[in-house]
Amino acid sequence: MRVIVVLGHVLDPRGIAVNRRAGRVFINRREYILQPADRCALEAALRIKDEMPAEVVVLPRSPLPDDDVLRQALATGADRAVYLAGDGLAAADDAAMARLLAAAVERLGGADLILTGATTLDTGQGQLGLRLAEALGWPHVADAWALKTSDDRLEVVRQEGAGYAVLEAALPVMVTVAPGALEPRYPDGARLINIYRGQGEVAAALETWDAADLVDADALQPLLERRGQEFPPERERGVRASGGLEEMARSAADALRRQVRV
Amino acid sequence: MDASYLDLLMAQQEEVAEAEGGGGGIWVVADLVDGGVAPVTLEAIGAARNLADSLGAYVYGVLLGDGVADLALALYQAGADGVRVADHPALASFAAETYLAVLADLFAAEQPEAVLFGATDMGQQLAARLAQRMGGGLIEHTVALSLDEATRALQASFPVYGGEYFEIAACPQARPQFLTVEPGAFAAPFIDPYRQGSPTMLDVTPLEPAVRRVGEADGFAPPPVPLNRARLIVAAGRQAGDFALVERLAAALGGQVAGDRGARDAGWIESGQVVDLRSATVAPDVYLAVGIRGDTFHNAAIEQARFILAIHPDPQAPIFEVADLGLEADPQQVLPLLLQALE
Ligand SMILES: Cc1cc2nc3c(=O)[nH]c(=O)nc-3n(C[C@H](O)[C@H](O)[C@H](O)COP(=O)(O)OP(=O)(O)OC[C@H]3O[C@@H](n4cnc5c(N)ncnc54)[C@H](O)[C@@H]3O)c2cc1C
Ligand SMILES: Nc1ncnc2c1ncn2[C@@H]1O[C@H](COP(=O)(O)O)[C@@H](O)[C@H]1O
Repeated sequence: MRVIVVLGHVLDPRGIAVNRRAGRVFINRREYILQPADRCALEAALRIKDEMPAEVVVLPRSPLPDDDVLRQALATGADRAVYLAGDGLAAADDAAMARLLAAAVERLGGADLILTGATTLDTGQGQLGLRLAEALGWPHVADAWALKTSDDRLEVVRQEGAGYAVLEAALPVMVTVAPGALEPRYPDGARLINIYRGQGEVAAALETWDAADLVDADALQPLLERRGQEFPPERERGVRASGGLEEMARSAADALRRQVRV
Repeated sequence: MDASYLDLLMAQQEEVAEAEGGGGGIWVVADLVDGGVAPVTLEAIGAARNLADSLGAYVYGVLLGDGVADLALALYQAGADGVRVADHPALASFAAETYLAVLADLFAAEQPEAVLFGATDMGQQLAARLAQRMGGGLIEHTVALSLDEATRALQASFPVYGGEYFEIAACPQARPQFLTVEPGAFAAPFIDPYRQGSPTMLDVTPLEPAVRRVGEADGFAPPPVPLNRARLIVAAGRQAGDFALVERLAAALGGQVAGDRGARDAGWIESGQVVDLRSATVAPDVYLAVGIRGDTFHNAAIEQARFILAIHPDPQAPIFEVADLGLEADPQQVLPLLLQALE
């Protein structure tokens, strides 16, 4: 069984400050973490590998400044990782990445299962995995909370309304994993050291492919154009609810409804 | 003037001249809830209507389901110029592959300028796959829309880090432009009760899907959410009074129970539930501080919360300085009223 995990990085929100008055995002510490939902997807793959013979291959979800997240994934238990590099790749959006990743999957010789995060922590977009399924012509299951595999089938638990449902899929299939679905394990310290020192099997498991060998330059053209940022009005703290107990309770309920749409 | 007379005057039903397809238009694919059209769909039609009037384009609604033809009226009344209906038992509940097949055929024939979905379970799945299939761009969770007239591109804002700020983006080259719109972000449109039309029925060829729903996941429980990743926290302090009320409020809001050191000392919560710079910092969408005075360590630990509601009897309590809304009241008295108001 071959499981491919598509994962990416995100600026650690604890290292950034959003200044609404200045209308700017200040990056105080440029530290990246694995996208939390991608971390869950990796965990789901590693749990399959705990249960049955499986090879876990890691690919990047977006153009990466370096291969840190791939090394982390290898240290956490993945068998093989492919860093994608090349001219014109830096601007790739999800549409372009889906085409590139589909070509990379073909070149790997296909897979039984592809897993990725259902959404990103920063932009909240969930299209990459589904676009990749489409580019490959595979079926998908979105927002998985739990997976159970046999040789040629997969059972997936996903949220439906207030409850959870079981879906069954024939392999191959693409599954996006909900953030928080699984408690992810941490990288193994010794493996991490070996990877960064370039020693042993794990270090050899990281290779680099040139995007130009996979798709032509047109396929990497992004469709999405960033046009700026907008900042919500500054928070006005210290506002007190007025009136008697009943009126206060009503204002509080209204405010909560606006915030959580209960 | 007598209102019923006005009704009589206006009761000449306005039949929408069913807009012919064959190029362009803004299309809205309907979500259904409880046998009706979902509010987010009507909101999307309202947003589409505004853009379409500036673009000189038609707005079309698409309904998929089993026995849903009558719902077309709701789409016309919200502002659709045309409605397409795919009515078939195979569409009775959402199945990605079956729905995709119908929509891919429809849009290949109609070549929309833009397609809007609700940012719902169904809309998110369909939009991404159709966008890739048709070579279109997609912006998800749109909360605001404007028109770039030079390129006829729809400029969309979407939240980053859950709404800390918003990105504005557009897909000016590719058509169709796909968007999912966040429920509640756009105003409900004016419902014109006199608009009506005759929807076009679509052919549906059922297929054998690779993914099948087996049934409910009985007994499945999702893993507990650690406090630092909780989206809604109801936290108690010494002045909370009745901790059972705090737990009931958390349950009503679907949030997690926590507290300050005072609550731990009172034996209400475990050490792992303490919110304090020395224990755990949190960044939820909503933080409810019930009877928490709010010392420096506590208030620093909740700095990243998006909305803070504080209830405390002492008007001088420091928690009020960091709260977005403060209730100077005894929690024991106000919580029952708040629970009632939330029902
Ligand atoms: C402004 C802001 C907005 C936020 N918005 C959201 C939101 O919209 N949605 C949401 O879900 N959350 C949100 N959060 C919370 C945020 O997602 C989490 O705090 C963040 O994802 C860190 O997750 P974590 O606690 O799992 O990280 P950690 O567990 O601290 O992990 C961070 C990194 O360090 C590594 N690491 C940590 N511990 C170890 C260890 N012992 N050994 C080896 N490696 C380790 C991990 O591999 C990981 O890459 C927000 C936070 C802030 C500040
Ligand atoms: N790292 C930071 N985090 C948050 N706000 C900042 C940061 N640096 C500067 N500011 C504020 O941003 C505004 C503009 O800063 P500057 O552009 O540096 O002149 C001022 O109000 C600063 O106080």
